[in-house]
Amino acid sequence: MRFRGKNYHLQPKKYKRVLFLFLACAIVLINKAKALPFQDANSSDRVTGKVTDLEDGSPLAGVSVVNVRSKKGTVTNVTGNFSLQANAGDSIRFSFAGKQPKTVYWDGQGALVIQLARSEGTLGEVVITGFQNIDRKKFAGAAVSLKTDEIKLSGVPDVSRMLEGRVAGVSIQNVSSTFGSAPKIRIRGATSINGDNKPLWVIDGVVLEDIVNISNDQLSSGDPTTLLGSAVAGINSNDIESFDILKDAAATALYGARAMNGVVVITTKKGKSGKPVVTYTGNFSSQLKPSYLDYNILNSAQQMSILGELERKGFVNSDILSRANYGPFGQMYDALNADPNSGNFSLQNTPEAKKAFLLRYANANTDWFDLLFRNSLTQEHSISISAGTDKSQSFFSTSFYNDNGWTIADRVKRYTLNFRNNYTFNDKLSVGFLTTGSVRQQRAPGTLNRISNPVSGQFDRDFDINPFSYALNTSRALTAYDENGNLEYFRRNFAPFNILTELKNNFIDLTIVDLKLQGELTYRFTKHLKYEFIGALRYVKSSREHQITENSNMANAYRANGNSTINQNNKFLYKDPDHPDDPAVVVLPYGGFYNRAEDQLINFDVRNGLSYTNTLGDKHDISILAGQQIKYADRQSFNNTGYGYQYDNGGTPFVDYRILKQTIEANFPYYQMTKFYDRFAAFYLNAQYTFDKKYNLFGTVRYDGSNSLGSSPRARWLPTWSFGGAWNMEREKFLENVAFLDYLKLRGSYGITASLGPATNSAVVLRSATTNRTYPDERESVIQLINLENDDLTWEKNYQGNVGIDIGLFKGRVNASIDGYLRRSFDLISRIKTSGIGGEPYKVANYADLKSSGFEFLLGGEPYRQKNFSWKTTLTFGYNQTEITNAANVPLIFDLVKAEGGNKLGYPVNGLFSIKFQGLEHNSGEPLFTNEKGEVSKAVNMQDDNVDNLVYEGPVDPTITGGFSNTFTYKNLSLNVFVTYQAGNKIRMYPAFRSAYVDLDAMPKEFLDRWEMPGDETKTNVPVIDDNLYAPRLVGAGAYPYNNYNYSNVRVADGSFVRLKTVSLAYQLGNSALQKLFVFKTASVTAAITNFWLIYADKKLKGQDPEFFNSGGVAQPIQKQITLSIKLGL
Amino acid sequence: MKMNTGDMIKRFSLRINSGIIIFVLFTSCGKYLSKDPDNRAAVNTPEKVEQLLGTAYPQANYIAFTEGSTDNVGDLGAGDVGAADLNTVNADVFFFRDTKSINEDTPEFYWFACYHAIAATNEALETISKADNPDSYKAQKGEALVARAYAHFMLVNLFSKFYDPATASSDPGIPYVTEPEKNFVKQYTRGTVAGVYDQVEKDLLEGLPLLDDNLYKVPKYHFTKAAANAFAARFYLYKKDYDKVIQYATAAVPVSNFKSTLRPWNTTYSVLGVNDIPPLYAKATETANLLLTETRSYWFRIYALGRYNLTPQKMSDLLRDAPVADGSWAFPIVFYVEGHNLVPKIYEYFVRVSVNADIGDGYNMVPLFTVEEVLFNLAEAYTYKGQTNEAIALLNTYLSTRITQYDASLNTITASKINSYYGTSNIQEGLINVILDYRRSEFMHEGLRWFDILRYKLTVTHETADHQTLTLADGDLRRVFQIPPTAKQSGIEQNPR
Repeated sequence: MRFRGKNYHLQPKKYKRVLFLFLACAIVLINKAKALPFQDANSSDRVTGKVTDLEDGSPLAGVSVVNVRSKKGTVTNVTGNFSLQANAGDSIRFSFAGKQPKTVYWDGQGALVIQLARSEGTLGEVVITGFQNIDRKKFAGAAVSLKTDEIKLSGVPDVSRMLEGRVAGVSIQNVSSTFGSAPKIRIRGATSINGDNKPLWVIDGVVLEDIVNISNDQLSSGDPTTLLGSAVAGINSNDIESFDILKDAAATALYGARAMNGVVVITTKKGKSGKPVVTYTGNFSSQLKPSYLDYNILNSAQQMSILGELERKGFVNSDILSRANYGPFGQMYDALNADPNSGNFSLQNTPEAKKAFLLRYANANTDWFDLLFRNSLTQEHSISISAGTDKSQSFFSTSFYNDNGWTIADRVKRYTLNFRNNYTFNDKLSVGFLTTGSVRQQRAPGTLNRISNPVSGQFDRDFDINPFSYALNTSRALTAYDENGNLEYFRRNFAPFNILTELKNNFIDLTIVDLKLQGELTYRFTKHLKYEFIGALRYVKSSREHQITENSNMANAYRANGNSTINQNNKFLYKDPDHPDDPAVVVLPYGGFYNRAEDQLINFDVRNGLSYTNTLGDKHDISILAGQQIKYADRQSFNNTGYGYQYDNGGTPFVDYRILKQTIEANFPYYQMTKFYDRFAAFYLNAQYTFDKKYNLFGTVRYDGSNSLGSSPRARWLPTWSFGGAWNMEREKFLENVAFLDYLKLRGSYGITASLGPATNSAVVLRSATTNRTYPDERESVIQLINLENDDLTWEKNYQGNVGIDIGLFKGRVNASIDGYLRRSFDLISRIKTSGIGGEPYKVANYADLKSSGFEFLLGGEPYRQKNFSWKTTLTFGYNQTEITNAANVPLIFDLVKAEGGNKLGYPVNGLFSIKFQGLEHNSGEPLFTNEKGEVSKAVNMQDDNVDNLVYEGPVDPTITGGFSNTFTYKNLSLNVFVTYQAGNKIRMYPAFRSAYVDLDAMPKEFLDRWEMPGDETKTNVPVIDDNLYAPRLVGAGAYPYNNYNYSNVRVADGSFVRLKTVSLAYQLGNSALQKLFVFKTASVTAAITNFWLIYADKKLKGQDPEFFNSGGVAQPIQKQITLSIKLGL
Repeated sequence: MKMNTGDMIKRFSLRINSGIIIFVLFTSCGKYLSKDPDNRAAVNTPEKVEQLLGTAYPQANYIAFTEGSTDNVGDLGAGDVGAADLNTVNADVFFFRDTKSINEDTPEFYWFACYHAIAATNEALETISKADNPDSYKAQKGEALVARAYAHFMLVNLFSKFYDPATASSDPGIPYVTEPEKNFVKQYTRGTVAGVYDQVEKDLLEGLPLLDDNLYKVPKYHFTKAAANAFAARFYLYKKDYDKVIQYATAAVPVSNFKSTLRPWNTTYSVLGVNDIPPLYAKATETANLLLTETRSYWFRIYALGRYNLTPQKMSDLLRDAPVADGSWAFPIVFYVEGHNLVPKIYEYFVRVSVNADIGDGYNMVPLFTVEEVLFNLAEAYTYKGQTNEAIALLNTYLSTRITQYDASLNTITASKINSYYGTSNIQEGLINVILDYRRSEFMHEGLRWFDILRYKLTVTHETADHQTLTLADGDLRRVFQIPPTAKQSGIEQNPR
């Protein structure tokens, strides 16, 4: 320190190099060296005092207190108090990670009261890994810490969505934005092919277990289970203090064998000593109705003109009355028939009368969005009370979230409770208790699980009434009300259908109760040695009641038996196999369905750790942590189908024995219950060493055991390790005088992490099944060999190397982090075809490898800072690419062309492939493709495994993601503008084409450009609307050209987009104004708009959201939202 | 911080205590972590072994590729099974090509299913060998051994050169698996056909006496004593050990019982609606069925709709008049699609992926051993043993259930009628001819003709609609079905082509 000036003169060139490296502009450096006052060393006394946090007044424990003269030091205890030998006139220096150091002059007065402010412009703060709080300066891993205040999206109840664009290398895709469904989250891209790729969530040191595991593909399926997908949906975002996103092997090391996909650590708020502080936060949001202006749908007149073509082509004639579904034309032919009671015709069979009848529909231009959606009102009220003394602190919070529904079919209520107490008994012992609970009640449109149909190459979902996909897929020529204002019914599944009626009579009620009790204990044996215990018990129960009343179309479809054609074609009627020549019969004469699914989780997690920290001599900081962890999670899932429940009739079920007979003959279980047992134990050791506050070394070993691979002891245990180093260059002598340099840190890490793959056969897997035999009385319950024992089964593993640099300049005006990484995943689970001689033709084994690499940077700071005005900015950028380097799976065409993408050797994880479009056939206007054999054909066998003729489009997951946030503050007013972006991926457009259309379907505007006569194929790629005589012939020959067209390269768009995620304006009421007017100490008002503008997206998408998978069911796209948020402090 | 000795000791003992705690936890972890991750089955009682053996029968169908390779089929000129893959299977077999398809009704699918069944038997046998009370598993052991023998026996007959005493000890067989596979990729050897036959014989003879019909919940889907004896009769017939054929065939079905147990084509079946026959054909209550199994198969669609099927010519040759007997067969001829004639037998049980789904898997219930086959095997053995009268008597019993409006005075066959019909003076030769002819008609659409072609080295000719002729003569390498290419991983050579 004392030789700073000299140093400067000795090494001028280095400065220049540094200058050129980082700024390339001349800066005059001023030597600010200041001599400390010289002190007499003779007299001796003790200085005592207390150190608190400037922001909230809480005591700060572990603050380093050093007598500058004598170089003796101590640390504050848990109450923030210290005592140190000193002489009057000594300077005492206080330093603490994340705080600005402070040096005070002690003139011998009484106890010092020291308040430390948050450090700006230093590489401040700590990284919370859930096991340790590590001084960021010493930290060698790649991790990002975020304060909730900085990233909070007002009015967004699910905290996982707040991370979008905030962290370089973390990709968040809102594949559905229904409450409770999870976004697709990837930290540094995919690490596994068939296993999970989602990060581990950790809350206050305890891993948050999923209630049900939602697989990669399921996430975007729209199935009702996806409502349980988000692990953090039950958390009140106001309770969260900070997020720490751990990205590399060194950062996640203490999670060992579960860390492969990265870790998100959430730390909740604690009580603070001082007077009780009451905070109220209220959010009032409205989600805006979607509009047809944003979508590419024909209006009713255009639609009717195409229906006219359908009529000419024979799709629409009086036969329509025998079909499962019909719209206006069906209505017309129905009216042309004589009323059986009166014998009157309600419609004359004259061209004029028919025209007049249809004209009403042509002019209807029904706005389904208007009928099914509303500008919702979402309220969120949250109250928290923080209070405490030196010895005990408590934090209590409760919240109520109420969403009355963006659509008429959904609504959510959520209640949360969070109660946390910390007690300090003495210098040694402190304990904490945490109780959190949440209750969610949600209603969603009734839906069944979708079924993959590789035969035709599509996903089937019976009775889908998702309002969003209904509005997009239903012709605007249909009307919800007839001329007299009564509900108008068209036909679906042979039964009358009106979406408004159906949504009232077919819905899912979801209830989740989530309770967690957590206890923590810390015992300090000495200043250096500490024992820590953390234990948590969590119980979650969810039930989904799918209620289908007797008035619903779904129940009525079971009763549609109007004529012999319907009798033959209605698949919901029952044909008795004992009497094959008899007509089908109705087996649900009364009532509807009451289907129930329940998921339950009991989770127990205990950890014991011993940590030792010491500074040896002046320059050797040592910290060692050793511990043990044990966990279990028991899951149970149950579902049953209740037949014939009479909702309007006192709730008595009427069960026709034949519906059960049908179910049993179809070998379909009408109830199921499954249990899963997760047992886990681990031992860990972590050591950190810092020399001279400059050179940091970091190493971790962990030994995990799990039962998830099967009961065999061989596969059970797995060691993982990592090490890393960091170099705080700004402390080097040659940089000490660079005044503009706040910090400069180089770091590197390497290690192995792991994850459990989707295979459980370290011992043989046998499961009972019922044989598929024609006659129920010949069936047996048998035990089936599912998987042979695999002696070689092990965890999926990943080597990761990371190098990074952190730099801060000009006292916080500029800071940047750059990271580059390489990852090699190996022993990934892949499905592979075997000789079959052992009895298992396809085995899942650790047989795939994956490499990925990427880099990411964060550039931020506060470039402009004046008394009244400041500008803060953050730009994040992440690039990641993956390649499957070894896999023996045999994908089918359907596996690769589906919207979620598929996995093929030599391509990225979830690569999207297309069937190659070969133009339209000259004579018919039907599309042609390169089929599986390489020939030009209308028919492509989607179940073929020859995928060489497919076109590779690109990955489904974006390779580039990031965000750009700017906050401008003027006095008490602050404006935040936040933009997110992604690029590098391809998306499959909505499947709009079919071989046969009915007069219910809405068509996109592409249809106006369709092929209509030979020669058009040179001008358009949009195929002809097929002839009714021809279409069935194609299907009979196993050809589905229109479906192939949906999966062709014509129907792929670029996934890049730039979205104005949010703009918010906040006003903080000034102190003086508040004191005069209110009892409040603090008050602020924020207005925000969210998702308002998709600044850039591929034009081909024409309104299709590039993030959203329109899979029906319970899926909803992200919504435009306006929020008003009020925060009051008492 | 100052410390007294008491503190020191406390600290020390605390450290030791936590050390002990960690150690104890570590050792008790073994038990804690051996919990199964889900509610999977554990096979640990005779009842559960019995349930496991419910899957010890190949759940795949050999009929599509064996029947399609025989001289029972021709080219109808048109036909569509409704799925490209099934059409391919149907055509490939007709043209004697190795099919690329790996789905239902292909040799590869059958290969996998047989070994899957074998794996179940080996899993059962391993459980039994480790059990504390192996005696209470006797019947299960018997079933496992016989089932293991059966699956291997079918494999060796299809994927190796057909058993010929002269070359069997050098012809490559198929891997005979006798223990559960525990490694991801395990190496096997093919051995020889003779070696496989020896092991089949050993398992069969060891298992047969242990069987206990009373244990089965649905006996017709398991190796009952009768079914196992029928299997033994077939085995020794293929091995040409006729004394043993007689021994096991008569054990399977006592001669006096044939009349009452044969399929009642000219009585009960002839008064049923044609739609009612298929559901009945493979029903457990049908006395003629000795062993049934459920197979993942679309054979029903193939023979009902496929292009390469029973032609009108073959229909009139094979299904109209019964040779020698001066009567006409009682087999009804029906069609689902005009021009695709068939005898209603195998039927499809379609299992949808969910109750109301349009898609699902097809299952065919297939009789693997029948009273008819036992009768023919016995008749053939009697013939070779010179007991021609017994053979003729059996065939007359058979005809009494097969000839429309059977009249014993008209339809009874005799040695002289046989000889004159076939133009021979050797009644043994005549009998073999008549047995082969009757078998061919009887087992129409059931694939067994293929094994007669192999046994008697018959030449198969297929004629296409445009009059190309394809010939598959004895010694043609294509008479042995191809082993899946992935078997190379396990060190198994494919068959020469």
